[in-house]
Amino acid sequence: MNRSAPAVAALAVALTGCAASPPLADGLARDAPRSIELSATPFYPQEDYQCGPAALATLLRASGVEVEPGTIAPEVFVPGLRGSLQLEMIGATRRHGRLPYVLSTTADEMVAELAAGRPVLVLQNLGAERLPAWHYAVLIGYDAERNVAFLRSGRTKREEMRWQRFAKTWHRGGRFAFTTLVPGEIPTHAEASRYVEAAAGLEAAGERRAAAAAYDAAIVRWPNEPQAWLGRGNICYGDGDRNGAADAYLRAILLAPADAAARNNLAQLLADAGCPDEARKQVERAAALAAGTTLASVVATTRATIESMAERPAGCQLGDRAWPD
Amino acid sequence: MRIERLRRACVALVSLSLLSVGLQAPAAAGVVGTAEAIAAGRSDGAHATVDAALARDDVRAKLAEFGVDAAEIEGRVAALSEVELQMLADQIEQAPAGGELLAVIGIVFVVLLILEFTGVIDIFKKA
Repeated sequence: MNRSAPAVAALAVALTGCAASPPLADGLARDAPRSIELSATPFYPQEDYQCGPAALATLLRASGVEVEPGTIAPEVFVPGLRGSLQLEMIGATRRHGRLPYVLSTTADEMVAELAAGRPVLVLQNLGAERLPAWHYAVLIGYDAERNVAFLRSGRTKREEMRWQRFAKTWHRGGRFAFTTLVPGEIPTHAEASRYVEAAAGLEAAGERRAAAAAYDAAIVRWPNEPQAWLGRGNICYGDGDRNGAADAYLRAILLAPADAAARNNLAQLLADAGCPDEARKQVERAAALAAGTTLASVVATTRATIESMAERPAGCQLGDRAWPD
Repeated sequence: MRIERLRRACVALVSLSLLSVGLQAPAAAGVVGTAEAIAAGRSDGAHATVDAALARDDVRAKLAEFGVDAAEIEGRVAALSEVELQMLADQIEQAPAGGELLAVIGIVFVVLLILEFTGVIDIFKKA
């Protein structure tokens, strides 16, 4: 975040939705545009309860993906809940090869995303705290002078909402907002951990090429982020690129020596590459580091597999590297 | 008779495809996925003891229960990480599902109508 702390504080206050919340102009960062409207953003009027598919189709279209709400509905809509769940909106974005980047809970990132030309999907609670009416809409801009937000919402192509009302409904909705990025694209204001986590989501969803592009971009931007290297290692491992995986895992361990996952994965790689002695050493370290964490059982499995391995005389294919202690 | 046989064939086909997709390991055996590594690094540890496979089955069952087409469930579940599946399994009933305002307006309208007919209020009467 390169925005000044007072601006963040002011926006945070503006978004608590209390009666005294100030208008947009008071919380806007000094370098932010006074007004933005991404008027080229497509519009899909929603069908009954289908604001999720309509909003997500709007966002994906704006990001260059050829989809219709009809394509998205079977991927997110839950008939029994008459709506779509946040996590499934995220999952469906991945299925279309885009990186869902969840924004921070102040409005600064929304403003920055709009300034970068990306519409923002928001969850609003248009009802009350006790009687919620959840609604997804797409924020396409704002006007600080007139103190309004512009939305593609429901059946309304261009909804103007008073900024405080928008802020209040978003606050009641848990301040959930995300944008879709083309993998490899990183917003200037992005936070390393949140971005890499989003890339890891693509990997988990089996969108490996998209994840690879995102890890590569993350490594260029944040060369000291261990999880980005772990991610690259995992992609290389899956591709059968043992040397690439070894280099990336080594870098991840160098940056985060206590990371059990990178150790475990390096151990598995070493075992695959015919280096049982080094694999044993690394998996012992991994097991010690993973004790008491959620990774304990998976590391124990790796360890058991490696320990049951027969000695292979073939020789280590990853020989001339300095393995970590 | 033929339709019945066809229907049986379809059912078999669907369950077979579900089974084969379900058997595919989400990541290569022995390697920890980046999403799981990140989750493990967090201090909260709220999901420390939940079995990932169990969470996946749980989400499958709940989506089916809430009327999601069987053919769509695998693709939807596959788009989420283990941690996300655990969150979904825990929260699906309470999580906000963005739909629209109609349901609430409908309830309010019905309540107002009842109050109108029972004579508590008279907002629908012409002036």
